[in-house]
This record gives sequence, structure tokens and C-alpha cells, in this order.
Amino acid sequence: MERQEIIDGLVEILKTVRTIDQEKLKNVTEETDFIADLNTPSTEMINIAAKAEQKFGVEFEDDDIDDLGSKVKDIVDLIIRTKERE
Amino acid sequence: MKMINLLGTAPKEVLSHGPTKLLLNKYHWHVPELGIVASYTPKARDVKDHFGIFRGVDQVEAFAQATIVSCGAFSERQKQDCTFERLKEIFIPVFVGIGEVKFHNYLEKGDTFVSIGKITFYKFRQMICDGRIYKVPKGLDLDGYFKKFTEDRLVNYNLGNDFTLVAELQDVTGRAIKKERL
Repeated sequence: MERQEIIDGLVEILKTVRTIDQEKLKNVTEETDFIADLNTPSTEMINIAAKAEQKFGVEFEDDDIDDLGSKVKDIVDLIIRTKERE
Repeated sequence: MKMINLLGTAPKEVLSHGPTKLLLNKYHWHVPELGIVASYTPKARDVKDHFGIFRGVDQVEAFAQATIVSCGAFSERQKQDCTFERLKEIFIPVFVGIGEVKFHNYLEKGDTFVSIGKITFYKFRQMICDGRIYKVPKGLDLDGYFKKFTEDRLVNYNLGNDFTLVAELQDVTGRAIKKERL
């Protein structure tokens, strides 16, 4: 799975988060920060991770989420890493 | 060693909170995937400097201790197959968010109340509960009363008319984070 394909999938997930300004989703890159750039509430980060599991058919470890950074590239890396692990 | 539920376990064994901050006396009903009923009776120190009334913020804290912290600790203990003491060494519970809280009544020193929590989400050590706080009729044997409690009654908050609704809470969210990350 290509990284851009994962980013596009993440944007689809982010579109379902009503607290995120949809305008900001037009320019999401690997460097976009969920918290600083998208103002994603911390409560939503776990929901986004849970939805990413479903969308990309992976299962994250609790510790993976503890160590997860707040940039898009961090979750892209985690998805790729998890797919390789599984 | 795996446990069936929290009944018979003292809250101070489960929670990290010290004696003056522990707002939880006893677990009365617990179905791990569904929810919990636990009680507390405010002491003099809990209402000090607050005109004899148990503060709303402490109601939320008591509810959180009874629900997301206790149920979250139980689930993590089962997952890691370790002791509560071990969990306390590794994790600390933190509030992540509180949705809506509506207060309907108040509690004074000596008023026993139950926190009734329904688990709506649990993943990655984050738990969300909805629930209610009810003032308990004076002299009621809570263990006896909740022995006959059911999942259906929990879902519908089906209690006797002599229980007084004190607060409704939605999306009370907490997470266990590793102490090393603080």
C-alpha cells in the first residue's frame, strides 16, 4: 500500500470527525500535525486510531498508541509497520 | 490470577488515589464489558469550606473513580494478567474529557450515593462511560439491593422511586498512561 493511499484513507476518516474544520483537510500532507494543524481534540485521537484499524485492516498494540506522534506521517508509519508485522 | 469482576475487592486496592482523594467506598455490581455500580458517602472533609455540600466537581471525580478508572484498571489487569499493585507501578489514570453533566440535586455529608456507569468505549487503555448518580434511600442495604440487579436494569437506570437522581453524565473519558510519559 502506497503512503499517499494511506493518507487519502486517513483524510476520509478525518472527514467524519465533526470537530475538525473540513477546509483544513484539503491540504493534508505527511507533515500535517493532527493537534497543532487540525485542532483535533485529544479525545478523538484514539477514535481515529480505532477507525484506522478498521479501514486498513490492522490491529495496533496499546503500546503503539502510547508512543504515537501527532503527525500524519507517524500514523502512516505505524500502519505500514503493523502491516509488515502481521 | 484472572478475576470475574470487582465485587469483593476494596477500591483502595484498585485505585492509586490516596485516602483523602479516594471518593469510592464499595463496588456493588459489575459486569466487565457493560458497566458498574459503586457507592460513596461524603465525609466531613469532603464538604469542608463548601457550606456542607459535596461539590459538583467531586461528584464527577467520584463517578470517574467508580467507572472509567475502576473498570479500566480491571480490564487492563485482565489483559496483562498482573496485580493491581503492578498496574499502579506502571500507569496513572488521567482525565481526557468530560462531555455533558447535568446536576439535578445535591449531596450532603453522610448522604450515600451510587454511581451507575455504562461503558460506551474501551480501546487503547481509554475508556468512556455514560451514567448517573443517585442518592440512596437512608438505611438501604446496597449489597442486598444490587444482588438482584440486571444488565437490563443498568441500561435503563431502573431503580426504585426512592432513589433520587442527582446527576447525569455523558462521555466521561479517561485513559491510563504510562508514568514514564509524564
